[in-house]
Amino acid sequence: MLDNILSILVFFPAIAAIFGFAVAKDSIRAYGVAVAFIEFALSLLLWFSFDSSVSGMQFMEMVPLVPAFGINYILGVDGISLFIVILASFFTMIGIASLGETKNVKNMIISLLFLQMTMAGVFVALDAIVFYVFWELSLVPMLYIIGAWGGPLRIYASVKFFLYTFTGSLIMLVGMLFMAYFYYQATGTWSFAFLEWYRLILPETFQLWLFGAFFIGFAIKVPMFPFHTWLPYAHGQAPTIGSVILAAILLKMGTYAFIRLSLPMFPDASVFFMFPIAIIAIIMIIYTAMVAYAQEDIKQVVAYSSISHMGVIILGTFALNVEGITGSIFLMIAHGVVSGALFLLVGVIYDRRHTKMMAEFGGLASVMPRYATIFGIMLMASVGLPLTINFVGEFLSLLGFYQQSHILTLLAGIAIIVGAIYMLSAYKKMFFGEVTNEENRNLPDVNKRELVALVPLVLITVWLGVYPKPLLDPISNSVKSVVQLMHDKAISEEAKTRIPNLMDGVTRVKETN
Amino acid sequence: MEIGLNHYLVLSTILFSIGLVGVMRRKNLLMLFFATEILLNSVNISFAAISHFYGDLTGQMFAFFVIAIAASEVAVGLGLLIVWHKRHNAIDLDLMSTMKG
Amino acid sequence: MELLLYTALFAPLVGSLFAALFGASPKTLVTGVVTSLLLGVSLVASTILLIFVITSGQFVHVEMMTWITAGDLYIPFGFIVDQISVTMMMVVTLVSTVVHVYAIGYMDHDKGFNRFFSWLSAFVFSMMVLVMSDNFAGLFIGWEGVGLCSWGLIGFWYQKESATWAANEAFIMNRIADLGMLIGIFLIYWNTGTLQYHEAFAAMPALENATLVWIGIFLFVGAMGKSAQFPLHTWLADAMEGPTPVSALIHAATMVTAGVYLVIRSHELYALIPNVGLFIASLGAFVAIFAASMALVNRDIKRVIAYSTLSQLGYMFVAAGLGAYWVALFHLMAHAFFKALLFLGAGNVMHAMDSELDPFKMGGLGKKMKVTMIMMTLASVALAGIYPFAGFFSKDLILEAAFVEQHYIIYTVLLVTAGLTAFYSFRIIALIFHGEERYKLFGFHPHEAYKFMLVAMSPLLLLAIIAGSFKLSYFEMVTNLLPAIEYHIHHPLTYWVITLGTQLFVIAAIFFAYKKYMSKSVKVPDGTSAMEKSFFYKLLINQYYIPRFYEEYLVKPYRELSCVFWKHVDQKVVDATVDGIANVIYITGENSREMQSGNLSTMLKWMVAGLVALLSLAVVFGLATRHSDKIMLILSGLGV
Repeated sequence: MLDNILSILVFFPAIAAIFGFAVAKDSIRAYGVAVAFIEFALSLLLWFSFDSSVSGMQFMEMVPLVPAFGINYILGVDGISLFIVILASFFTMIGIASLGETKNVKNMIISLLFLQMTMAGVFVALDAIVFYVFWELSLVPMLYIIGAWGGPLRIYASVKFFLYTFTGSLIMLVGMLFMAYFYYQATGTWSFAFLEWYRLILPETFQLWLFGAFFIGFAIKVPMFPFHTWLPYAHGQAPTIGSVILAAILLKMGTYAFIRLSLPMFPDASVFFMFPIAIIAIIMIIYTAMVAYAQEDIKQVVAYSSISHMGVIILGTFALNVEGITGSIFLMIAHGVVSGALFLLVGVIYDRRHTKMMAEFGGLASVMPRYATIFGIMLMASVGLPLTINFVGEFLSLLGFYQQSHILTLLAGIAIIVGAIYMLSAYKKMFFGEVTNEENRNLPDVNKRELVALVPLVLITVWLGVYPKPLLDPISNSVKSVVQLMHDKAISEEAKTRIPNLMDGVTRVKETN
Repeated sequence: MEIGLNHYLVLSTILFSIGLVGVMRRKNLLMLFFATEILLNSVNISFAAISHFYGDLTGQMFAFFVIAIAASEVAVGLGLLIVWHKRHNAIDLDLMSTMKG
Repeated sequence: MELLLYTALFAPLVGSLFAALFGASPKTLVTGVVTSLLLGVSLVASTILLIFVITSGQFVHVEMMTWITAGDLYIPFGFIVDQISVTMMMVVTLVSTVVHVYAIGYMDHDKGFNRFFSWLSAFVFSMMVLVMSDNFAGLFIGWEGVGLCSWGLIGFWYQKESATWAANEAFIMNRIADLGMLIGIFLIYWNTGTLQYHEAFAAMPALENATLVWIGIFLFVGAMGKSAQFPLHTWLADAMEGPTPVSALIHAATMVTAGVYLVIRSHELYALIPNVGLFIASLGAFVAIFAASMALVNRDIKRVIAYSTLSQLGYMFVAAGLGAYWVALFHLMAHAFFKALLFLGAGNVMHAMDSELDPFKMGGLGKKMKVTMIMMTLASVALAGIYPFAGFFSKDLILEAAFVEQHYIIYTVLLVTAGLTAFYSFRIIALIFHGEERYKLFGFHPHEAYKFMLVAMSPLLLLAIIAGSFKLSYFEMVTNLLPAIEYHIHHPLTYWVITLGTQLFVIAAIFFAYKKYMSKSVKVPDGTSAMEKSFFYKLLINQYYIPRFYEEYLVKPYRELSCVFWKHVDQKVVDATVDGIANVIYITGENSREMQSGNLSTMLKWMVAGLVALLSLAVVFGLATRHSDKIMLILSGLGV
């Protein structure tokens, strides 16, 4: 079973979803939870049988699909993708378990299970075509979830979400085809396998163009400034569960793809574009944090805060050293947990009051103390307080980038200030003060079903904040091999110096600018 | 003056132009069919002429094909035309807009 | 010893978690008692560690577990008890135990009793982490932890707008400084390859001077935030919105001294960069007199004490900046005792006066609250630095240090500040406890605090009186680690002139304050007197207009800019561009729909047009390829 565990992880939820059509409406919820739980247990099994000391791919599977063009069904997992896969199955489980009163609950659960398939597929695929297929398929269930269960502007939001990200992915597809063609020219055989592509050393101009093509696809997905405007709409209109999955997992596809594809394939282009991308990341961090501060709707605050945090992730990725990339991957997990929890929390209050406007609230701390406490913990995690999960990632990402540029890191570090500003002011508006609105006076505190979803998230937030080692070790191991690969492949002198060489012991690159 | 290939081709071009203008301008479906016939026959002329010029029979064979196809086309077309006329009592092209997007 | 270390460290955490269990339920006395007891345990453990460190001269160093590892980075949870940290541990556990017991009485009627103790103990835990860590990252954990607890405690009465505002202000302002600290940490890591104190400091002498200066500056920026140094000082006065025990513990005795602790801890670094040290000292001297001046006129007893704290922090930074690290630490300790006492006394007064804070509305309270009066008076005497109280030994030492190091400007500033300190301290003493009983006009019925609260305060009183006598033994202990420089003015005549002169000056200031504010003519100011209309009074009462400046020129623009970014840039520019592109495509489609009119003749026309276009293209390309060489020639002739 372990030999095929990745395929099982990918297709089990899809098959279960198909059987789900036959399940009676009353029992679909239990069915969904059971399937998601098994899926989660499988992903945990994957973790336990994962060998942390190996830096390369594990549990590889390969089935030829179109041999003539080198398209194969290749799956594999390493430290970089392992925890995102686990996170995805975890959130699917949490999401289904915490699903509130929903119309057409059967369709919702089936969509979620399909979504789980595509998410697992993206993170374990090692063939460009398979990767692309899952990448695009993930749009469909999300489109349906936003379009069918969303708010008043749901059609606009879902179409925008779909078309925007789809356009980006098409450009990425063109990049992939070119990459395969270059590979064909260089070796005489077609291949779409990532691991084969890693071995190809491209001239710098080719790298720049291909990097650009991939960049657009990924940047829209992340979303990076200025391609970010679909996200607030999608979040604003999506039902709670949609926002949770979108923020926790789907956004990570973009940043994951940077690390999986862009960095090892185009090391010189990565160095070339490092500073422009860092500047975009800083704009993301500060600008969207300010926009978040101006919001009147708590869900939009969380949505914009997501973009701001993704900026830190991008920055860590383009630190191009082990500390930074490890930090950015860890921050992906951390941000998944924290923003997922925050969206769940927003959902809690939305279920009670059917509004997300902060002006409608105030003084909730005395009405719903437990809710306020959990929200407070997640808020502090989002702000990046040490001993919470976010801090580890943020610290490492910024620390890593500091090696590349002092000034830019100082600017990016403003994240910890502006983050505190919007989060604390939002918290103050919602929870502090006297209860002024009569409707808020008798709101029930979080109930058992909501606690089932929230308490594990709180525990993870603290646990991984205090003891991140079980995640950091495998991540760092795999990242080391990526960084070494980049260093070895790099052509230009600048890239050679900027990307540390891990083989000759400790290297410290003095800042050159 | 001997009548050479060029003359045939010029005739064919003139006929083709007439047919083209007919296709574009006429609103009557029947007239449209006439114009199409002119188009097809102008091509037939050039086929036959060029075939003769090169001494290769393929062109003339092709002209026969065209004639046959034109005949069947007119047969089908006229059938439709009659049905349309029965139903709408008109064969004006502008009225045929049920497939308007 | 390890067990003791863990006991000292984790007892407050256990207490905090225990209290948190009852967080949302109504008052249960047990939370207060249990947290206090656990702090007592922590205090005992710290005392044993202190004795161990004194007698053996050794450190206790443990590494609990790994925290973060990535690449070359390795950060453990490591704790060290050496002479510096054990001093801090004693201060923290002692003051916090007193404050906990006191708070059982003070928070007696509060609905959030349990929540209060949970936060308070959590604070003590964070503070212990801060002082006991053996690396910069651990320090940063505590650093942010105390910031969080300070946020929760300043905003403890969250129904009050001003309290929550102050809480957020404190947190955000500290965050600004924390960024500096974080950058300092990054610099240390990339230059020395480690964050462990002893390894990092050992590597520092080999580094370039410029790098060290940057490290020193960035770390000090962090210290400026926590210790509320100018220009990040405004949060401290506003933090007085929190319950008074909080002010005593966090904003007088412990958290605000974390910055001083950081500088002392990094003394090996600052010893290498005396210029930065001089800057720290100068800023400290400036803050000392700057804060003291604001305390002169303020009409809120807690704020007066807060400014006094700020001013004393300035003193500490002067000492630390001039290299007199042990003096700074000694003053830190002595100050913690008498300032906490002063705050708790103020708490008693507030309790008696139904949370009234304006000393002009009090007067003559001494008759009703004798014990409190005595305690606050003695604490003020200690603060003023009168022989033989604690302040004399610690504060005058700083003056001497400045004199010996020949920084006469700093010396003069500090001397003047000493006079101001005496004046404003006794101004509020006189206004509260002596003179006419003005409170009767406002219908207050003051009463003395609970007995056990007074008993709880007594250790602080004792220490405020006798802490100075530890000077020599303390010197011996702490200079195992810190540079042992004795600051003595060698010329006996100069020494006596300076010491007696300072004493007389301070006593004169005290008498002046008593004389001015005990008289029967003191009235509740109503904004009409000549003094209140003077420029200086307005300047001081408005805190040099700095908070207003921040509000007008930083907070408001930030808010407005945020709105502009959202409503105009994000929606009108970025999103509109995206929608614009989509719209162009949509409109193109809408327009080209006309082609597919379904009308046979129009469609035929389009077909013909397309045919013509394609044919002509084909012809053009055909000609172009045939004559490509000529075209190239023409183009090259044109210079293309």
